Amino acid sequence: MDEVRLQVSHMIKNFGITKALKDVSFNINKGEVHALIGENGSGKSTLTNMLCGIYPIDSGTFTLDGVEIHPKNQVDANNHGVSIIVQELGTLSGLTVAENIFLGHEERFITAGFRNTNAMNAEANRLLKEYGFDRIKASSLVDDYNFEDRKLIEIVKATYFKPKIVVIDETTTALSQEGREELYKHMDRIRAEGNTVIFISHDLPEVLAKSDTITVLRDGEYITTVKSADITEDDLKKLMVGREVTGNYYRADYGEEVSQEVVLKVKNVTVPGKIEDVSFELHKGEILGFGGLSESGMHEVGKAIFGASYGRQGQVELADGTQINDIQTAIRHSIAYTSKDRDNESVVINQSIGDNIALPSLSHLTYGKSMFLDWSKVRTFADKFAKEMSVKMVNTEQFVSELSGGNKQKVVLARWIGRGSDIVVLDSPTRGIDIKVKQDIYQLMDRMRKEGKSIIMISEELMELIGMCDRIIILKDGKLNGEISRSQEVNENSLISMMV
Amino acid sequence: MANAVVENDKEQELKKLHKMRLIRSLLPIVGLILVFLLFNFLTNGRIIKHLPLALSTVYVTMIASMGVFFIMTMGGLDFSQGSILGLSAIVCCTLSHYSIPLAICGGILTGAAIGAINGYFYVNRKIKSFIVTICTMFLFRGLIKFLTTNSPVAGSAELLEIDSTAFKVTCTVVVVGIGFVCFSYTKFGTYLKAIGAGEKAAMFAGISTDRMKFWVYVLSGAITGFAAFISAIKVGSVTSSGGNQLETQILIALVLGGMPISGGAMARFYNVIVGSLLYVILSSGLTMIGFTTQMMQLIQGVVFLVFVAIFADRKAIHVIK
Repeated sequence: MDEVRLQVSHMIKNFGITKALKDVSFNINKGEVHALIGENGSGKSTLTNMLCGIYPIDSGTFTLDGVEIHPKNQVDANNHGVSIIVQELGTLSGLTVAENIFLGHEERFITAGFRNTNAMNAEANRLLKEYGFDRIKASSLVDDYNFEDRKLIEIVKATYFKPKIVVIDETTTALSQEGREELYKHMDRIRAEGNTVIFISHDLPEVLAKSDTITVLRDGEYITTVKSADITEDDLKKLMVGREVTGNYYRADYGEEVSQEVVLKVKNVTVPGKIEDVSFELHKGEILGFGGLSESGMHEVGKAIFGASYGRQGQVELADGTQINDIQTAIRHSIAYTSKDRDNESVVINQSIGDNIALPSLSHLTYGKSMFLDWSKVRTFADKFAKEMSVKMVNTEQFVSELSGGNKQKVVLARWIGRGSDIVVLDSPTRGIDIKVKQDIYQLMDRMRKEGKSIIMISEELMELIGMCDRIIILKDGKLNGEISRSQEVNENSLISMMV
Repeated sequence: MANAVVENDKEQELKKLHKMRLIRSLLPIVGLILVFLLFNFLTNGRIIKHLPLALSTVYVTMIASMGVFFIMTMGGLDFSQGSILGLSAIVCCTLSHYSIPLAICGGILTGAAIGAINGYFYVNRKIKSFIVTICTMFLFRGLIKFLTTNSPVAGSAELLEIDSTAFKVTCTVVVVGIGFVCFSYTKFGTYLKAIGAGEKAAMFAGISTDRMKFWVYVLSGAITGFAAFISAIKVGSVTSSGGNQLETQILIALVLGGMPISGGAMARFYNVIVGSLLYVILSSGLTMIGFTTQMMQLIQGVVFLVFVAIFADRKAIHVIK
């Protein structure tokens, strides 16, 4: 008989008029990895954020080991035995590794009002060693470490005090394969100790492989809880979306000839500290993929093509010989770019959907050739492309900040489709996006390819690179480290061997 | 059935959204009318009777507010406006002995030059705008004091002859009119709002954010340089306190007009007009009731604090650059 660790009962949460959680109740057991899945906006993160004291509870209760808890903040949640590892960076810059690990729990190192920094560092070093992260030093600033290592520090911070429940919210999407393995190891350890992991992920194969139990949420409602062993990926998709997911997920074609026409030439591009001597050609109607570890420099390739890198050397040249050195020239010559950092670099978060879509095209939405904007043209333009991308919204006056990740991405894509871009650089286009929107994006890419547009797709998800690209270039330590053409024989292992 | 419910929900959502926006945009206008009526009542109608006098300071405030409005829309601040006005007025008065058009150009160029200094340190040296402009405020206030050490700088007689309500109203309407059209009917306004709402994303959407930020500071300086001309024809000379505290007056005016202090997409051009009228009526009303200058500063401070506390968008406040 499984012992219940956490009882969620009648949990309700509203954000203004949006109902994020509608009366959700279910149980989570001891000693299990319990996955929480659902599309964007289904309420997964809302639920766990309330459990960790990040959002206040509207109504409903959490009962942990028979005791009702009302965490007021993250430290309070920690004291109840609940901790969280978040999707984005959860460490504070400017503090040392040790200070980050013990943030909010410094009292154990304080005597007579003074903090014993040496004792704190010693304790942190002991923990880091125990976790096998010897290369991280407790007294260094976290700023000295890359994204990956900072995530490892967060693992220590969230689990060293043996909490009863650890929430892992979309952490794996930000990690490379190595980092993931590290995380899985600690998930197993927590389970073995009889404690519970609440695991949130969009990666269904990962969910099936790593969890014992899966709870599905849809539109803020509880759908069901199942054992991972008893269910298939397709059934999970059906439960999440609420209908059959039909058709091909990725492209179905193999062996199609890509046009010989070169539309973009990248020659000996170097961005100091990021990429070194990168050269390649992009063909008309081609989907060219870039893969690698997250620090391999592949994200910088996208920025370099778009003219957005600092201190870039080398040439980015169009078929007609035009040099692309800045963003304005890039956009004028029909190059589009969507960043991995969607909220900061892609959408203007505190502006309307309409303005976001029309922004690069405003010069064409005027009265005749004058400089005066025709607002009815702007509105029609925004409505048209928002509809074409089926953005889920009230109207185009709505602010982008109110949209889910998938819909934000659709707004960015609508912007560039509206601009009529021929060369589209997509950096992690499906990061943190649910299956349905993912499928929409893949279909859109396939359509664009057939229309003769060229796409560069940079991604940390190897499966989507293999499924979508005509060619995949692998980067390692900022340099090109191999190239693979589209074929059914390619699998993840053939890419990983070039990445590490 | 289920679809109908969703549609209904959406419609209600839409209505609620529109209602909230309408209330927000109407509030400053309602406030303006209420304050106007209140002070007429308190002063037995003296404000209406002496309307030109009551409004005599609105021209400078409104014109200069417009420049700061552009800056604040893109998320910056400018505290150097008072010093810009003072120094531009000195140049304007000095040059007015030679030629009036030269005086106007001199004032505008002086303002633009100080704006360029602000813009350079803000954009190229990447120092927060309020730090930069506080520095230039002190620096040029010092220069004004030095230039007026022995005596106020007086303008020529011709300069004073230009002064008439009709002339000032015309100038204000023209300048503000141009500003309105540029802000609301060209991409200038949308670009400014985009920079205020998310600078990096604006850059990745193809806006030359750095160039834009620099030139908006220059523009704002130039606009205040022109306001200095209006101020010069009214006063005829500049003392060491010329333009003193204009920057706070502008800030209060814009906030009273409903301007979000962190800028961005919610900035509306009427913020400038309603705000400066509200401010001027408030301050001349208080004077007519008989409050001393010291007392007024206190009251203005309280009003400012209350408005900021009520209207500040706390989620966006950290983006002030």
